[in-house]
Amino acid sequence: MLRYTWKRILTGIFSLFVLVTVTFFLVRIIPGSPFQRGGVSEEVVETIEQEYGLNEPVMAQYFSYLGNVVRGDLGISYQDPATQVSDIIARAWPVTASIGIAALAVSVILGTGLGILKAVSKRRWVREVISAGGMLAAGIPGFAAAILLLLVFSVKLKWLPASGLLSPVHYILPVTALALYPSAMIARLVGNTLEGELQKDYVLFARAKGLGKGQIILTHALKNAYLPALNYIGPASASLLTGSFVIESIFTIPGLGREFVSSITNRDYTLILGLTIFMGAVVIVVNLFTDLLCAWLNPQTRRAYR
Amino acid sequence: MSVLDVRNLSVQYLTENGASEIIKDISFKVEKGEIAGLVGESGSGKSTAMLAVMGLLGNRAVIRSDQITVSGEKPVPGKNAAMIFQDSLSCLNPSVKIGRQIRETVQERLKCSRKEAEVRAEELLDMAGIRNPALRMRQYPFELSGGMRQRVVLAIALACEPELIIADEPTTALDTLVQAQILLLFKRIVRETGTSMLLVSHDMGVTAAMCGRVYVMHKGRIVESGAAEDIFYSPMEEYTKRLLNDARGGSLPGYGHESTENTTCGPVDGNGKTPVFRMEHVTKIFDEREGIRDLSLEIQKGEIFALVGESGSGKTTAARILTGILKEDGGTLYYRGAALNRDRRMDAFAGRVQMVFQDPYASLNPCLTVRESLEEALRAAGTRAVLSPETAEHAGHPESRPAHRNREKGRMEEKIDRMLRLTGLSPKDADRYPGDFSGGQRQRIGIARALIVEPEILVCDEALSSLDATTREQILELIFRIQRKIGFACLFISHDIYVVRRISDRIGVMYGGHIVETGETKKICSDPWHPYTKQLIEAVPEPDPLRAAKIKASPVKDGTGINQSGCPFAGRCGYALECCAGEVPENYLFNGREVSCFLYSDRHSGRRSSDYKMTSQI
Amino acid sequence: MLRRIRQHWKNYIGTSRMALIGCIILGVWIVLAIAVPLFGPWSFSEQNAGIRNQTSSLLHWFGTDRFGRDLFTRVWYGAGISLAVGIISTAINGIIGVLYGAGSGYAGKRTDIVLMRIADIISAIPSMLYVILITLVMGAGVGSMILGLCVAGWIGMARIVRGEIIKLKETEYAYAARMEGIKPLRILLRHLLPNTAGTIVVNMIFLVPQAIFTEAFLSFLGVGIAAPAASLGTIIQEARSQMILYPYQMMYPLLVLCIMLLALNMVGNAVEQRLSIRTGKGTGDK
Repeated sequence: MLRYTWKRILTGIFSLFVLVTVTFFLVRIIPGSPFQRGGVSEEVVETIEQEYGLNEPVMAQYFSYLGNVVRGDLGISYQDPATQVSDIIARAWPVTASIGIAALAVSVILGTGLGILKAVSKRRWVREVISAGGMLAAGIPGFAAAILLLLVFSVKLKWLPASGLLSPVHYILPVTALALYPSAMIARLVGNTLEGELQKDYVLFARAKGLGKGQIILTHALKNAYLPALNYIGPASASLLTGSFVIESIFTIPGLGREFVSSITNRDYTLILGLTIFMGAVVIVVNLFTDLLCAWLNPQTRRAYR
Repeated sequence: MSVLDVRNLSVQYLTENGASEIIKDISFKVEKGEIAGLVGESGSGKSTAMLAVMGLLGNRAVIRSDQITVSGEKPVPGKNAAMIFQDSLSCLNPSVKIGRQIRETVQERLKCSRKEAEVRAEELLDMAGIRNPALRMRQYPFELSGGMRQRVVLAIALACEPELIIADEPTTALDTLVQAQILLLFKRIVRETGTSMLLVSHDMGVTAAMCGRVYVMHKGRIVESGAAEDIFYSPMEEYTKRLLNDARGGSLPGYGHESTENTTCGPVDGNGKTPVFRMEHVTKIFDEREGIRDLSLEIQKGEIFALVGESGSGKTTAARILTGILKEDGGTLYYRGAALNRDRRMDAFAGRVQMVFQDPYASLNPCLTVRESLEEALRAAGTRAVLSPETAEHAGHPESRPAHRNREKGRMEEKIDRMLRLTGLSPKDADRYPGDFSGGQRQRIGIARALIVEPEILVCDEALSSLDATTREQILELIFRIQRKIGFACLFISHDIYVVRRISDRIGVMYGGHIVETGETKKICSDPWHPYTKQLIEAVPEPDPLRAAKIKASPVKDGTGINQSGCPFAGRCGYALECCAGEVPENYLFNGREVSCFLYSDRHSGRRSSDYKMTSQI
Repeated sequence: MLRRIRQHWKNYIGTSRMALIGCIILGVWIVLAIAVPLFGPWSFSEQNAGIRNQTSSLLHWFGTDRFGRDLFTRVWYGAGISLAVGIISTAINGIIGVLYGAGSGYAGKRTDIVLMRIADIISAIPSMLYVILITLVMGAGVGSMILGLCVAGWIGMARIVRGEIIKLKETEYAYAARMEGIKPLRILLRHLLPNTAGTIVVNMIFLVPQAIFTEAFLSFLGVGIAAPAASLGTIIQEARSQMILYPYQMMYPLLVLCIMLLALNMVGNAVEQRLSIRTGKGTGDK
């Protein structure tokens, strides 16, 4: 298990390196200079570029940037030379992470509960309502749901605030919009696999040895049924933690997603790069945890990784 | 009062097209301390009846009965009745440790503390014949062997402290030797604990070995019942007679005598002939146990050579190396005396080796009709044939291409029809998909596909083991009949020495990746030389209560695993000498028989003159 | 031909009510998306200062936007563009994905590892970055949007097909085909790929709403299809500035988009369910 973990960490670092490289050159393809704005003369642009080292050969820039990244220095923002990229991340990430974690918690709890209910309920209508609701929630894109929620609850009914993150009440709409899709997916995955799992021989055997239905579901079937859901939850939580571009932009939340969108439109090279690296790192770390958790849940692979 | 008393049980399944009756009005009893048997083919409704008794059938089933009682009370799973299923791997939760799976049962039954339950669980495992229970409790089901898992399942059933244990095909998935061990264990448990057991099986031999009273079930009804002696020695019903006949395996028509007369096809006891195929010192080792080590064998033209051994002994690996699906780590393969290139074996064979697989459901492409499957094979053979001289002449013929193609197509069609008829199918079946056929029919299609390219070697890898007795008989006969007719060489692989002894000309017995004994089938089966061969033959329960009662199983030793440093069988062998553990025995050759055991070495039996006649040392 | 279509219909859709409803909605949507801009009395792009921000009326069923354009025409035109983007990019992604995945899975060993690592890296970068880069290089438009969606959109399909092929490669019928001496390419195309048809179809159906959604969301963020062309995402984006005053301008395109995506998902779900039942029956019972 330990060797496997090390291997995963090393491949993670390698992927991060490739990500940095590819993004670095991709960003350099963007035509135009970040400092080209109406009214700024060529000369001024050139002097600024010189100051930032943008006139040096691309390879030289690449290596010096790589060196800085290894030291944890992501550079300074081109648009706002007074701030470090890492400061922007430090400011924006807690915001993003707080709604992300809230949405994750809601969707895991809700999704698992509904999934179990769907698999075990004897009433046909309960199962159908859950699957229809799931389809509705999974079929409507997040931004459409966000706008609909906004239109209904803030614009029409004026029950909930439309923007910002000042009080817990402000969290309700963005978290709902964020959690809708993942909860539907988790409910579907848990429901379907649990249903299949309950058909298996070991459940029949557990009944034959006298265990109760609740005990069988919670201590036996759910453990096996959760694997596909976990495989989904991993990447989903990574994307929740790195922020949703749209939700943050609709509810005007100052998180990572919004910074990313504005950094691209502003051609803020260092910020784009810094954010991509940070998001990539979060994705890789979360995926690592998911894989380890999956391996832990599935003893067969766990023993194989020793 | 009987322990189990079932009267007039009927089970219906509600489907969209109305109700279908699976079980029709059956009654049976099990007395205290008795092992009763319920025997019948797969699909006869045995398992459904048992689940109905336990009250474990799903909602769609409608159960009617005048009485189902266990010692006068309603059966409660886990309390007065417990059940053991066929597949021990699927009925243990794969992600929960053995210990917990037993412990929770004990806790549920005795309502005791966790500590007490743990102690009791160890006791139970010990009772079920598991050494070192504390270690096993910490393991997961997949880490245990099949026999060990079935013991765990039995321990869980015993944890319920039931008055009745229903065992549904408990040994079907196991090797013969392990089956014998488990059957003997069941007998001991019934004797010691005084519970009753209802043993459900399709295997007449197992039933004969275990049961005092037997119920024969057919299409949802009990057609005959009585004491085992009556059922086996003087069956009344046609169906019972047929079952017994299939189980005894009436002799194959023409087996034995024809092979000596027919000089073109039968095996020839000459040493001067070059074998069609030869393996020398082939080794292939996987991460796990399965693999083959230093294996040599040869297959003569027109003979059926059988490899027999328990699962994991390397039979399938040997077959796959022969066909080129796997590549050997070392050693050489010869085809008609010429060494084969390791990497391009499949090309070198060019369709001259074909295989019939174990699983008739996985071996046919579900997307192709029978005709398409056969055409694919023929077309591949056809493109090769173009390169051979005879067809090259044809190609030069001034014939318009469409006409040529039409004629080609006609020939193909004719060939396909002929092959289907030969394998007992109808040409009408050709345009159906594999999904429309039963297991037996699919196996026929598989045989047709393998034979249509006229191979020189046919490999049958456990081709019968997934079929039930009657179908197995039919397919066995089919393979034998076609083989004698066409005369291809056949490598026949099976774990069932009973099947093998009836079809093969020569046998190789495999254990732990080695061939431990080779020779003519009749000689090996009537007079085994290697201790393992002897155990294998003695472990098979015959459909005869008196003889089956004598099945033997080697005692379970801690070192049941394969001995890696010396003779592979040393750990389980009753005759093991000191040298066996550390040295690998050579192959000792005696007049067409080869045996790899120190009992036959010069060292053990003394130096011999050249005309010395070796006899069995065990 | 007709019989074959009916056969496929029966195979994939069967008698599912859900699929039927989904197909009907899709059919209506496609007809409207083609017919309204073509035969309607209004143009989707012509601005008219006299009729700005009108509510629904008999003349303008969905009302007009802030430039006085008829929203009904505009919404259906946008729906057409969205559908076209979705279907075209799905076709491209599907083909690339199937070929890449099948090739990678069948080749195995080192080729497979290298190909899948490349795919991993491509998919690790947010697709937004690609679309923005492409629109910056090629200019905003339907073409660059489709191209942007196709940079990384095929990877999911490739992974799934690869997994299936790796599984099928080890089946006994694949071994049998190899033993018969059939050429590798033919084994892949005739023996293995047809068996993945079900999975491919299901994934293709789900790729369409995914692509439409991505397009809408990028257009909504303002990186995507540029005026005068408009997709549903652009229309929603344009209505955003006056969301509080004229919420209906946003509501109509949103509803059209949501119903379209739901219908696609319904069909996809039904086909998936049907397929799992069918394959379950094929191998399940003894």
